[in-house]
Amino acid sequence: MSRYIIRRLLQLIPLLVGISILVFLLVHLSPGDPIRMLLGEDATADDVARLNEVYGFDQPLYVQYFRWLLNAVRGDLGVSIRQGIPVNTLIFERLGATLELALASVVIAIILGIPLGIIAAVKRGSIWDYLSMVIALIGVSTPGFWLGLILLSHVALKTDWLPMFGRDGSIFKGIWVLFTQFRFDELSKGIRYVLLPAFSIGTGMMAIITRLTRSSLLEVLGRDYIRTARAKGLSHQIVVLKHALRNALLPVITIIGIQFGAMLGGAVVTETVFAWPGVGRLIINAISQRDFPIIQGGVLMMAMIFTLVNLAVDLSYALVNPRIRYE
Amino acid sequence: MRRQLSFVLAVLLMLTLGGAAFAANDTLVIGTGAEAVGLEPRLETDVPSFERINVIMEPLVKFDVEMNIVPALATSWDFGDDDLSLSFDLREGVTWHDGTPFTAEDVKYTFEWVLDAANAAPNRGLYADVSEIEVVNDHRVTFHLGSRYAFLLNNIARMPITPAHDGDRADFRQSPIGTGPYILQSWTRDDRMTLKANENYWGGKPNVPNLVFRTVPENSTRLLAFEAGEIDIFQGGVVPQELSRLEQDDRFAVQRAPGTGYNYLGFNTKVGALSDVRVRQALSYVINRKGIVDRVLAGIGTPGIGPIPEALPWFNPDVMRYDYSPDTAKELLADAGYKPGDINIRLFTNENPDRMRIAEILQFEAKQVGINVDVTIEEWGAYLSRVQETDDFDIFILGWSGQLDPDRAMIRQFHTDGANNYGKYSNKQLDTLLEYGRTVAPDSKESFDVYNTAQEIVVREVPYGFINYSEEVGLHHKYIKNWTVHPYGAGAWQDVHLMVKDK
Repeated sequence: MSRYIIRRLLQLIPLLVGISILVFLLVHLSPGDPIRMLLGEDATADDVARLNEVYGFDQPLYVQYFRWLLNAVRGDLGVSIRQGIPVNTLIFERLGATLELALASVVIAIILGIPLGIIAAVKRGSIWDYLSMVIALIGVSTPGFWLGLILLSHVALKTDWLPMFGRDGSIFKGIWVLFTQFRFDELSKGIRYVLLPAFSIGTGMMAIITRLTRSSLLEVLGRDYIRTARAKGLSHQIVVLKHALRNALLPVITIIGIQFGAMLGGAVVTETVFAWPGVGRLIINAISQRDFPIIQGGVLMMAMIFTLVNLAVDLSYALVNPRIRYE
Repeated sequence: MRRQLSFVLAVLLMLTLGGAAFAANDTLVIGTGAEAVGLEPRLETDVPSFERINVIMEPLVKFDVEMNIVPALATSWDFGDDDLSLSFDLREGVTWHDGTPFTAEDVKYTFEWVLDAANAAPNRGLYADVSEIEVVNDHRVTFHLGSRYAFLLNNIARMPITPAHDGDRADFRQSPIGTGPYILQSWTRDDRMTLKANENYWGGKPNVPNLVFRTVPENSTRLLAFEAGEIDIFQGGVVPQELSRLEQDDRFAVQRAPGTGYNYLGFNTKVGALSDVRVRQALSYVINRKGIVDRVLAGIGTPGIGPIPEALPWFNPDVMRYDYSPDTAKELLADAGYKPGDINIRLFTNENPDRMRIAEILQFEAKQVGINVDVTIEEWGAYLSRVQETDDFDIFILGWSGQLDPDRAMIRQFHTDGANNYGKYSNKQLDTLLEYGRTVAPDSKESFDVYNTAQEIVVREVPYGFINYSEEVGLHHKYIKNWTVHPYGAGAWQDVHLMVKDK
């Protein structure tokens, strides 16, 4: 197992180098000069030249790349051109918010999606099946930002305990406070702020999970060993939940992992609607300002987290299905 | 099952225990669309940064809402006999947020830092004529000029003073101190900036103890939060479609003031048909200004006239007007010897939705008078590089903001050697006028005469086709008192200490 993990981690290196080259080239070869945008319309040619030198933009591209890579390996992702703040600081101060939102969305999607999928599969062809599938269809075809605005104008505006936007406190901190000081208020605050944005993002994923759970469970329920289990006289509930579901969940877990990764950088629209201070907004703003170090560092960081999440997903197969072993 | 149900109920109960998100009377919440880049006046260039900087720090003099220059950290000022110096008497008894007294050394420090080429301060050009800054005593400072520059005072009003004893701190840009009415407490970027009242503020203790800037990029969300009372003042990009509804709602107040910016068509005056002034005039006649303001800008803004905003005293209302008239345009084109279809023009703009629609409208209107316009939309950075560094364009659409004096509004744009004269426009008489104008006392009749003539020339010769003037719109709950929307965006909150919140 540990050898497998090490091998997978080593495989990450060429992957990340490849991603970094791609991002570096995309950023540097696309039009737009960050120094000019920084200095504005009054800039003299001297000023532009001086700052180009400061940031090393006067060097050949491969020199710039290797300089950046060398620093990145040492954990230094450079300094934002526009804000003058280390990229590490900018990313880490937002990473909590991004992870929290992604996790909360996944939890909502799982809590709603898997039961709906099970009901649809077990009661196949019934009104419950159709109802679940209609919910899933609506979920998958509703854009998150639109749902967000609808939730804001029809739910948050009408209740006085759901905030309209922003983030205050965090769930992670809330859980810590709950277990150390036995106070619930921090966690409650964190949940109230994350609830609507997480729901807006979570519904799309819920829909995918529902459909996948249903089809996967239907397939498993038709297998011989399920018939054997039923023949043994096991109750319907035990057959579905213990025997069938475990196997049926394998593809679902894969999808959850990929979706979770996609949420890290792809939730930017929802982040914008709810003014959620996440990494997605940081990177999008950096792109519009041509803030190269933030784009490069942010994408590299997201890629790293994405691959690590996928590794975790692969490892979790063994938990769900003990027959899977990693060598 | 019952146990599970009671657990769920308990959780729900606990969730509802949390307080409501409304802003209390002791906290003023301003919702803005864009986050500040930083809080260092010597480095920032964007309006959102200066909006926040100007409640923490203060310049020597500032613009009031009528765009007059009034005292701030300086109580009075005088030009030397030869007009080659400008002296300020500084307010006494002012302290920085950490208790250190504010003195002339702080003024010297701030401007010397900006003038030091090694710091590459983006606004250095504003003070390029300053040769030396002399500390006369703790409360008097003199700017010596290398050459006469009548509008130095206007430019000094743009630069808040930073503390000599603290300004070099590595994280000053993120956590500065100042002399202003509010003290920065914390800043979570892209979310909120929290400030508390400066009890020792020289202008009097602020009425509201806490001030919070919330960044909400999505206009619809910001508007909903404003209506729900989570935000007291809605700033930046009022959703135009909603404006009339908001104006009729008796909970809210909408204020409008002419702004200090404008949008324009920039003409490459050196190429092809556009080098003929009659063709440029013809194009100016087909800019449907009223239609653009009403349809594209949803009524926010006013039809453009010339290079100086209406909010400034130098604005000349008597220049030639290009009221929409395709017939006049056709006559001018015929006069210039062009038949319909003869002229093909490339127009460039960036991905700004308003500009894209203006480009489409212009394309349509030009077609009616026989000019073919080919529109290309480019990414902002690439677009800027094309306009600033090449002359590979016929027409571009851009805007100017923060035009606070006639010199800055014209000499860079229309002088033959102007740094921002992208269209290579050249007129010897105008060059002379603009060079002369910056040496004449700004409030003299001569100054007004010079710039009246200069505006007439620019409007007549059309290096720019003026599209619309900007308009500043402020939207707030009626329980907010003592706030007036400012024509100069950066000054929006400079008098925030006078505001009252009475819910």
